[in-house]
Amino acid sequence: MASRRRMLLKVIILGDSGVGKTSLMNQYVNRKFSNQYKATIGADFLTKEVQFEDRLFTLQIWDTAGQERFQSLGVAFYRGADCCVLVYDVNVMKSFENLNHWREEFLIQASPSDPENFPFVVLGNKIDVDGGNSRVISEKKAKAWCASKGNIPYFETSAKEGFNVEAAFQCIAKNALKNEPEEEMYLPDTIDVGGGGRQQRSTGCEC
Amino acid sequence: MGEPHDSFASYPPIDPVNFDLIVLGTGLSESVIAAAASAVGKTVLHLDPNFFYGSHFASLSFHDLTSYLTSPYRPPSAASGDSDYVVVDLLHQSPYSDAEFASRDDESASFLRENSRKFNIDLGGPKALLSADKAIDLLMKSGASQYMEFKGIDECFVYEVNEGLANVPDSRGAIFRDKKLSLKEKNQLMRFFKLVLKHLDDTQEEKISEEDLEIPFVSFLERMKLPPKIKSILLYAIAMVDYDQDNNEVCKDLLKTKDGIDCLAQYSSSVGRFPNAPGALLYPIYGEGELPQAFCRRAAVKGCIYVLRMPVISLLMEKVTGLYKGVRLASGQDLYSSQLILDPSFTVPSPPSLARKDFLSERLQLLSQRDIKGMVARGICITKSSIKPDVSNCSVVYPPRTLYPEQVTSIKALQIGSNLGVCPAGTFILYFSTLCNDANEGKKLLKAAMNALLTLPVSGNSESVPSASDDIKPIAIWSAFYIQKLITSKFEFISSAPTPDGNLNYNDLIDATEKLFGHMYPEEEFFPKATSPEDTKDEDEEEEDSGITLES
Repeated sequence: MASRRRMLLKVIILGDSGVGKTSLMNQYVNRKFSNQYKATIGADFLTKEVQFEDRLFTLQIWDTAGQERFQSLGVAFYRGADCCVLVYDVNVMKSFENLNHWREEFLIQASPSDPENFPFVVLGNKIDVDGGNSRVISEKKAKAWCASKGNIPYFETSAKEGFNVEAAFQCIAKNALKNEPEEEMYLPDTIDVGGGGRQQRSTGCEC
Repeated sequence: MGEPHDSFASYPPIDPVNFDLIVLGTGLSESVIAAAASAVGKTVLHLDPNFFYGSHFASLSFHDLTSYLTSPYRPPSAASGDSDYVVVDLLHQSPYSDAEFASRDDESASFLRENSRKFNIDLGGPKALLSADKAIDLLMKSGASQYMEFKGIDECFVYEVNEGLANVPDSRGAIFRDKKLSLKEKNQLMRFFKLVLKHLDDTQEEKISEEDLEIPFVSFLERMKLPPKIKSILLYAIAMVDYDQDNNEVCKDLLKTKDGIDCLAQYSSSVGRFPNAPGALLYPIYGEGELPQAFCRRAAVKGCIYVLRMPVISLLMEKVTGLYKGVRLASGQDLYSSQLILDPSFTVPSPPSLARKDFLSERLQLLSQRDIKGMVARGICITKSSIKPDVSNCSVVYPPRTLYPEQVTSIKALQIGSNLGVCPAGTFILYFSTLCNDANEGKKLLKAAMNALLTLPVSGNSESVPSASDDIKPIAIWSAFYIQKLITSKFEFISSAPTPDGNLNYNDLIDATEKLFGHMYPEEEFFPKATSPEDTKDEDEEEEDSGITLES
């Protein structure tokens, strides 16, 4: 049966600190961008309704809440993800090199039942910086890496200008939907104590 | 395989270097305090030497569990460096001892190895939540509940001599349905429940007398003429006391009537609090280790900085006053904070007796004395069939003297199946625990409890003789026993967090944690109401085929 659980798609965004994970989420959900960078505090998850083949789904996009800074995301963060978004900064070599670590980390921690076919999407962000003159990773190189990892869809984005963000998240939603959930766990007797997990949230920028 | 991060470069230095609070260890208490302090705007740094969250409250893979219980913690060699402060090295004392494991055969052993990561085994089990207990309230109040999901425990059993498992009649319906109670017993129990309900109902005049409230609950139950069987269910399966209440010599937790009534009240309001939970108990999907992680994420969202795999090697103390100033990390970095909370595994060496009587050695002396309140024996079995056909998740209580006459403590057990995401399909994890005075006594009790329901793997010097009934009992393909010291929380100039206790629920632990927070921040509220904006209701009610929205 199509339980409520299937209506909710969990998406997690991974990548080095400062690549624009929170900004991408904010641009997609709230169409807002802040030029001022501060390490993420107060971001939890954002939700957005998406329509797909006449059905409405809730995309729940989880931020790392800053726990990626010292590679200290717990296994709970990864659990039950329907799609994993890997983000790097096209202007920072290290953030591209670390994509592999983040991907492996995800596969170990989330241990999806079918790791070969688990949906990832890669975003090369900040293509607007310096008119593209400061980029150190070419689109070709990024695409080659994605191809080598089982043809991961790749998007070049600018969270600042909103470029390609909508398209990227549409792909993310589509792939999340295709992911088969882990069997018996989500039978209807699951108890959500607070009920808060499914609610629309603000970005929580009270800090 | 355990450590996922080997390939990462070493951490950049932690920045800033000054915090209001540094917390070492991510056990449940530590995580709740990190979340509570962050919620009121304190700057918090939360460290853990392990690569996983949860410390003594973690749920671990098969491999990680066995290695955590057996391999001694090796503190990194002390990084030397100049400091304006006295550098006192931390001492690690594992609360675990006497660990022993047995596999049924090579096939079982390789099955467990191959499926290691499909297991999330609780280190502090058996533990579950009552639907109306303090842990649930705290999860909702703090906002941590949004990161977790639960399932109801299907059945609660009490073990009876010669009878095996009997249902705990925990509601009117359950009393009526019960096949093992006689009509007379049913009436007695109903009358008693009515009396308790009247007592708790503020609109009713009829109350249990003040005098009666102060007497032992066991005497009160006798006065109510409840038969031994019912008495035992109320005391050990519902109020969940540990020691034989009929034996004054050994009983360390004689329950007063008023506390007994409170336990019954909490239990009965737990039944039916969440319509799709079959009984009073809940268990977190993916195991108890999700609890500390939910509080840690709550803390992180409020700005707490998280660093796993980072041991603290020493404390920095001021020379003259002996006041705590900061910590030195394994990376060599010195960090400072006003307050510190230590995982219960860590303490400081007591200063040599000949040391000068100064503030520093006095403080170290105080800190080195941990509050060890006895020990708990824990056991784990993995089976391929349930102890009760068609029941996946259930609890069992073995009241005192049900296994053998010298059994002075009750034994708690919990079976969790694969639909809770803690083990591969077709397997079950069973947890057992009991308080004890020494390791042998504790293990003997657990073995008797396991043998009553299971066929155990034969370890080196096993006295279990295969009997005719063995072939109908589920076979444990693996078993584990270990002893854990009970260390309570402590507030000095440095605070220490508690280990898991011997209870099935988290009530006492949450109480202790709230108290500790109160000592540390007397002026602050423990999770003020407006912490998070999630109290708005939306369309949840419409899609209620599964989850439950609970208005607090």
